Amino acid sequence: MTREALDRILASEDQIVPSSGFAASVMDAVRREAATPPPIPFPWRRALPGFGLCVVALAALLVAGFMLRAPASVPAAPATASYSLAQMFAAARVAIEKADGAGWIALALLLTLASIFFSFRATGSRT
Amino acid sequence: MSAAEDQADVENVLAGDASAFEGIVRRWQGPIVNLAYRFCRDRTRAEDMAQDAFLRAYRALASWRREAAFSTWLFALATNLFRNDLRRVPAGTVPLDELPELADSRDADAGLEDEDRDRVVRGAVYALPAKYREAILLFYFHDMDVPAAARSLGLPEGTFKARLFRGREILRRKLARRGVAPSLQEEIP
Repeated sequence: MTREALDRILASEDQIVPSSGFAASVMDAVRREAATPPPIPFPWRRALPGFGLCVVALAALLVAGFMLRAPASVPAAPATASYSLAQMFAAARVAIEKADGAGWIALALLLTLASIFFSFRATGSRT
Repeated sequence: MSAAEDQADVENVLAGDASAFEGIVRRWQGPIVNLAYRFCRDRTRAEDMAQDAFLRAYRALASWRREAAFSTWLFALATNLFRNDLRRVPAGTVPLDELPELADSRDADAGLEDEDRDRVVRGAVYALPAKYREAILLFYFHDMDVPAAARSLGLPEGTFKARLFRGREILRRKLARRGVAPSLQEEIP
């Protein structure tokens, strides 16, 4: 078989004729598409404050995580009942960190309330 | 096919007249359905794929940049869609090794019925790896016009020619094994 023969075979592929209703069927689909309202764009302007808050919270979380990576521990109490000054400072630091934890919980609650508030405002103003 | 008519219809569709798209469909339904048919070898599926291609073209009409012919853009869009569709659901083609043996091992050109030989050659094309098969299908679909076929596949001409060459090489070897005399020249168009 020569290359010309191959060309002849492959170039003479069967041609099919689209069925009579093909164009009408395509146009039906096109008209349906045209009648469909365009998708509602994402409300970036309304969402931006929420995203900003999330970014701030995430950054604060990272900073706090970095600072607390080596948590202070209360040294074991010596055999004697007397506490040194260093031990007292360490105990105070642990107490402060515990208070920080409460602060974070409060911040999380605040963010939750803010996000609820913004979502209600966003949906409420559209209706 | 009139490029001016295509351009006018596109402008009308973009201006909000969806019915102007009908002109495009009527002018290009034959080529697009046949292109799909070359990919899948199934008439019903070819029409479904072609309809999908027209719908995609309708949605993406604004992205047609006027420096390329509308037909080039449409063929490239359709080819890309058909290739993806075939990757998802391959056509029900028979692997080359499962094609029936050609009559016997006598002189192939003399002993074979033309119809059998054509069928085996086409079957061999469909058994090629996708990238070579697509190059060969598009090359013959575009009447052996390398630049047009390369544009449809979104490939540089050099890459397209290399795939065509490699596809023919594989075809030559496989057909030789199936009893079709392999005197295919290795020149590239």
